Amino acid sequence: MSAVAAPGLSGLLSGRPLRFLAGAVLIVNGMFPALWILFTSLKTEAELTAKPITWVPHAPTLANYMQAFSDQPLHLFLFNSFMVALLSTCLTLLVSVLAAYALARLDLRYRGLILSLIIAVSTFPLVTLLVPLFEIMRTLNLLNTWVALVLPYTVLSLPVCTLMLVSFFEGIPRDLENAAMIDGCTRLGALFKVVVPLCAPGVFTAGILAFVNAWDEFLLALSFNSNPALRTLPVGIQLYQGEFAFPWPVISAALVVGIVPVAVLIVIFQERVVSGLTAGGIKG
Amino acid sequence: MTTTSILNAATSADRGPPAWTRWLDLGDRALAVVLLAPAAILLALIIVYPVLRLGYTSFFSLSLTSGLPAEFVGLENYSLMLEDPVFWETTWNTVLITLITVPGALLVGLALALLANLPFGVQWPVRLSLLIPWALPLSFAGLIFAWFFHSEYGVVNDVLIRLGFESIIWFNSPNWAFAAICLTIVWKTSSFMALIILAGLQTIPRSLYEAADVDGAGRVRQFFEITLPLLKPSIVVALIFRTITALQTFDIPYMMTGGGPGTSTSTLAMYIHQNTVSFLDLGYGSALAVVMFALSMCVTAVYLRAIRTKE
Repeated sequence: MSAVAAPGLSGLLSGRPLRFLAGAVLIVNGMFPALWILFTSLKTEAELTAKPITWVPHAPTLANYMQAFSDQPLHLFLFNSFMVALLSTCLTLLVSVLAAYALARLDLRYRGLILSLIIAVSTFPLVTLLVPLFEIMRTLNLLNTWVALVLPYTVLSLPVCTLMLVSFFEGIPRDLENAAMIDGCTRLGALFKVVVPLCAPGVFTAGILAFVNAWDEFLLALSFNSNPALRTLPVGIQLYQGEFAFPWPVISAALVVGIVPVAVLIVIFQERVVSGLTAGGIKG
Repeated sequence: MTTTSILNAATSADRGPPAWTRWLDLGDRALAVVLLAPAAILLALIIVYPVLRLGYTSFFSLSLTSGLPAEFVGLENYSLMLEDPVFWETTWNTVLITLITVPGALLVGLALALLANLPFGVQWPVRLSLLIPWALPLSFAGLIFAWFFHSEYGVVNDVLIRLGFESIIWFNSPNWAFAAICLTIVWKTSSFMALIILAGLQTIPRSLYEAADVDGAGRVRQFFEITLPLLKPSIVVALIFRTITALQTFDIPYMMTGGGPGTSTSTLAMYIHQNTVSFLDLGYGSALAVVMFALSMCVTAVYLRAIRTKE
């Protein structure tokens, strides 16, 4: 807001105490649920059922984490989630870099139409594709493989990543590519040797977006994989629930383990993620 | 390929780019087709063909549990749907969730964005507090908030009791369960709204506010006459995107209540999933999906129009 102080309400709005309060509200809103799960994961069963409930654990224990790994193959869930997310991120980036280059640089007759189509596709509800994709994967014998998830996840992120990359590529001066081509590069050579390295931050942001999309997806993972060894984390985490029991501290520990990888990515690359997200979001 | 591009290829070959890239040194049009092909093939396989297939399957009686071969039944799946109270209930729940959580997330997101736009000395905690809810998987948010709203050990009831209210058994009553789900969705989705709106806020020139100050316009008037109108494009984009995803609501109610008590918090997406994956009734599941697809395409049509008028 404006730095100019005006009488009445505005004086209050630019005041320091209000800014402090605003920061507190933002942080509590954003962090409290994750923090609460972290606290729960460190509690003993006895402390969990104490009344009134304690907020910060008095005697923090890592036992729940041990149990999270021994009750269910949490390391397998993590591995599957990681591999599926990584493979679909790589595939998304490869395909969307090629498509974005064509849309940003080549003289296309139906450019506007293609862009509209991409936007339209990005709004298709995944759940409506559940039946036909299920049939396709069954016919191709891909149910219970990583591929059954990697392909849909790639398509899930493809439109947004392509649109983002188009706007990044358009920001690179054509002269740089032309110079590379005079030096003997082919167009594709120039794309991968000049344009992509110059857009590395943008490509990287698109990659994080694709990774988070794939890491979060639940419905298809739940529907296409019945093999316990191939479950991803969101699907596997349900298994901690017994018929009557709901071991919350152990579930919390598993959740914390699942949140940490993405949280680390976000903490390291926060600035880039914000600018990428908003660029993509406003572009459509 | 034209003669000139063959010549180009020949001359650049003399300068010696690696042999494997040489065949790709095509004319612009041909190169564009090659570059767009992988995306087009993926979209055709995962989106276009499935959508056509979906419409086709919805006219068949195709249940994998019955063991009977697929039989053409015309509109029977659709007429079944009209008489199916669960279809109406889950559709109504979906519409209600959309009507409550989309404006809810917009208001909360707008408030968060206005707070985050204050001149903080240190920016990263604010950024993180908006990014963490966005990056948290929906299914995790569902589980975390199920624990939040736990009737005995939940922090929500703990706070209620400390404030002198009665504790609520959230998941035993359809209305409270529904309220808990809506609150969770608003929390989870308002951060992304806030990020988009914040980006819009930061493009508004300060000079506008300074001029308004000189003219003696108060903060409230400035908000309604400068901030809101200039934010409209970002708000429209955020709203439509949120509406499309709200229609697909699955993870959060699935994790929090499993659709219960009864089917009172079940959504259309959950009913499609149930018919397809649990009952293996692909014909009926497809007909349900066609309805959701139609709903979603209506919103998309509005979206494309909004974008076109924006340009």
